[in-house]
Amino acid sequence: MAVKRREFLGHMAAGSAILTMPAFLQGCGVQSATAVSQATPENPFMTWFGVNQATAARVMSELTARGADASDLYFQHTRSNSLRLEDGIVSSASSGIQQGVGLRVVIGEQTGYAFTEDLTMPSMLAAARTASAIASGNAVAAPQAFNPLGTGDLYTTTVPWSNVGIDQKLPVLKFVEEKAKAMDPAIEKVAVYWADADERVMIATLDGKLVTDHRPMTRLTVVVTAKRDGEVQTGYSNIAAREEFGWYSEERILKMVKEAVDRTMIQFEAIRPPAGEMPVILASGASGILLHEAIGHGMEADFNRKGTSIYSDMMGKKVAEPFVTVVDQASIPRERGALNYDDEGNKAGRTVMVENGILKSYLHDQISAKQYGLGPTGSGRRESYKYSPMPRMSCTFMEDGPHTKDEIIAAVDHGIICETYTNGQVQIGAGDYTFYVKNGWLVEKGKVTAPIKDVNIIGNGPESLKRITMVANDARLDTGGWTCGKNGQSVPVSQGIPTVLVSNMTVGGENVS
Amino acid sequence: MSADLQNRAAQAVEMAKAAGADDAWATASQGRDVEFEFRDGALEKVKDTTSRSLDIQVYADDRYSNHQTTDLSPERLEDFIAEAVAITRALEPDEHRRITSAELFAGRPSDDLDLVDPTVAEISREQRLKWCESLDRVATDHERVISATAGVYDGTLNSASASSNGFVGSHAQTYCWYGSNITLRDEGDKRASGGWYAGGQHVDALPAPSDVARTGLDRALARLGSEKGPTVKTAMLVDAQVAGSLIGRLLRPASARSVQQGQSFWADLVGTRAFSEKLTIVDDPLIPRGFGSRHFDSEGISAKYLPIVENGVVRNLYVDTYYGRKAGMKPTTGSASNRVIALGNHSLAELLKEVGNGVYVTSWLGGNADSTTGDFSLGLRGHMIENGEIGPPVGEMNVTGNLKDLFGQLELVGNDVYPYSQTLSPSLVFGGVDFSGV
Repeated sequence: MAVKRREFLGHMAAGSAILTMPAFLQGCGVQSATAVSQATPENPFMTWFGVNQATAARVMSELTARGADASDLYFQHTRSNSLRLEDGIVSSASSGIQQGVGLRVVIGEQTGYAFTEDLTMPSMLAAARTASAIASGNAVAAPQAFNPLGTGDLYTTTVPWSNVGIDQKLPVLKFVEEKAKAMDPAIEKVAVYWADADERVMIATLDGKLVTDHRPMTRLTVVVTAKRDGEVQTGYSNIAAREEFGWYSEERILKMVKEAVDRTMIQFEAIRPPAGEMPVILASGASGILLHEAIGHGMEADFNRKGTSIYSDMMGKKVAEPFVTVVDQASIPRERGALNYDDEGNKAGRTVMVENGILKSYLHDQISAKQYGLGPTGSGRRESYKYSPMPRMSCTFMEDGPHTKDEIIAAVDHGIICETYTNGQVQIGAGDYTFYVKNGWLVEKGKVTAPIKDVNIIGNGPESLKRITMVANDARLDTGGWTCGKNGQSVPVSQGIPTVLVSNMTVGGENVS
Repeated sequence: MSADLQNRAAQAVEMAKAAGADDAWATASQGRDVEFEFRDGALEKVKDTTSRSLDIQVYADDRYSNHQTTDLSPERLEDFIAEAVAITRALEPDEHRRITSAELFAGRPSDDLDLVDPTVAEISREQRLKWCESLDRVATDHERVISATAGVYDGTLNSASASSNGFVGSHAQTYCWYGSNITLRDEGDKRASGGWYAGGQHVDALPAPSDVARTGLDRALARLGSEKGPTVKTAMLVDAQVAGSLIGRLLRPASARSVQQGQSFWADLVGTRAFSEKLTIVDDPLIPRGFGSRHFDSEGISAKYLPIVENGVVRNLYVDTYYGRKAGMKPTTGSASNRVIALGNHSLAELLKEVGNGVYVTSWLGGNADSTTGDFSLGLRGHMIENGEIGPPVGEMNVTGNLKDLFGQLELVGNDVYPYSQTLSPSLVFGGVDFSGV
């Protein structure tokens, strides 16, 4: 049946968080054949539902009738599209409309939440009364009018996805397949997955702000299966960004295709490394997964205000060498994790979590910022109108250090280089975290000697930070389509890092004696 | 409720036909969900929602697409469906894309699956608060507790499907879960944490909240003083609660889709003795109160008892209609219902005795497996097993190997099934497994 069975793991795994890559198995949606391209109005709420300032004020007033320190209305309309090419045919498309409004009341650390997909006044007022039940005080003065803030410019597009027809997208998928197949005769199958979405949000807050944001997103994934002497291997690559159709240049696509083919073919020669502790070199780019798991989640202030994070008592202390600076920044144009405003209507910006080795700032939502007596860091995010926001990462990266990649490799007597990843996870309290290495290299006596594959790496966050002994000058953000899951909510994120040496981590491997 | 949804699904099918579809399949769903979260003596979050959606699958000129919307206003729905049909027409033809053959609808069972408890809809705010308080009390009474969050999650799901070739069916179920997550002060900056939840369709079948919280607290206490385990080749005892996820990794590529796409180590295994003879897995959709119980699957195929592995011999794969047609395999079902692992006759204590020395896994942390080759590597936490007893807690370890080989090394199966899952597995013992740690 199409009923989605409720996923309880999200609740049960509270205190742990996961990061995943291979989302291509789920359809994310596509739309619009040329014949019927029905352009979406820029602010569909006003146009389609008659939600204007007065409506928002009326609902807000009902929402705060029993008291509130803060409250917000989060209107969302998302049109998503996806296409799938398998066995040479683009024979499946999906599309979706996700529309609704989330209503939230906050009193101290308490949250009341409701949503409705029926944007009529009676339904919105009923949802407001449900959300307000958490409170039991007197009404607060709700704004009669809201002050519209300027729209951000981090991912402005000239052509929204709703105006791009399947006839334009289809040749891209065919091109990917053709180029991948041509790269190696051992390639038996190529699958290509396309996703795009136009998300529009409008946030009205109790303090009178009105924020609108159009958040485009796209992702292209290629999966390659090759056979050699009866052995089969699969590999993939993908690229994602808050971008428009014109972003998909031939050069960009070919680079992705080559990555997928290289990652697949190298597995025929790759070995599992020996098991145990050893120095680990993290290649620049996607290895930012280390930061996401080892420190990023532990710095989300909801865990710290509850005292459940291993970083709860470390603010202002030295946690790493002076050449280690770790940043979470939403204001990087067009990145998958970029945001003009967070999902509480605060301007999203740049938060330095570790500066020259010193722990500097948590990532806050409104609730934690108020509790710590600080301004918001613009880190309050939510998956959709169905969820209340919490502190989340956006684009997490480490800044350049004083070493070079060659120096780092030369410094390792026996260890590995990690290059591509599928997923990671962290256990917030104990600080243990892992990431799964799909492709990498063995390093012996300062030289790269053999390809490796399929090993999980496990470490402890604060211990790993201390063990970052070298940082190169080649920082870059990964272009892959990462999705972060926490308490059952998924949000798009980006990550990056320069080449880094961690002096000791535990590498999953075989050949244990 | 059901009649309403059934009408909505039927209307959507008509709209698709009117817009030019050859065939269509629609599902209308509605759900109510309530969450209460309670932390350190006070209510922290209340979420109370009613949601709805419409899914439609369109077949036109040998082409296929599927669509979902939460915007059900009639005129926009009509536009949405017309656009869905137009999208379908813009694709490439694929002779294998057909609506489920009506023959597969035949023989639908009518067993009472007992998935609805009408009292769930009547759970009061006071009742939820009472549960929260009693969960909270057990945890916060402990001196080492830094923070404890108790949660109550309950709700109702309803859906109805209709197709242009005569399918009509509906599904309803309720659920109620509660439990807590507990964080304890440990050495230095470290926190030990653990939790436990119990749930089901029926409120009266749930254990007392205080017992649930006690289990959660014990699991957190068991983590105190955890150290990094050794690099060693030894026996692995996987606790019943986390055995299901390992079974899930094993079965992930056991589908016509994975096989047809060349991404499955199960490709040539049907009919062969691929795993230890201790392993028997059945997909059983008709278990009363089962988390995956159903009368028909998402394609309308009537529910049937489906042996996947019998005494190590692979009997069937999950075969949906599309990839089945493409791969020349007879459809079984494309989606798992209840996956039942045949029980052995050892209790957990007996398994520990039999193992003598090894590693007892109580939770996984990250890791992954390659569906094509079966190679896997997983992070874990648990305990050393010393002289047949549960020893000191360990973490920061990986276990690495190949899933096909691992399930060939399945040596013992417990009788202690973990009940709160769609995969009903007991504890499992594997011999000669590679662990990495210190």
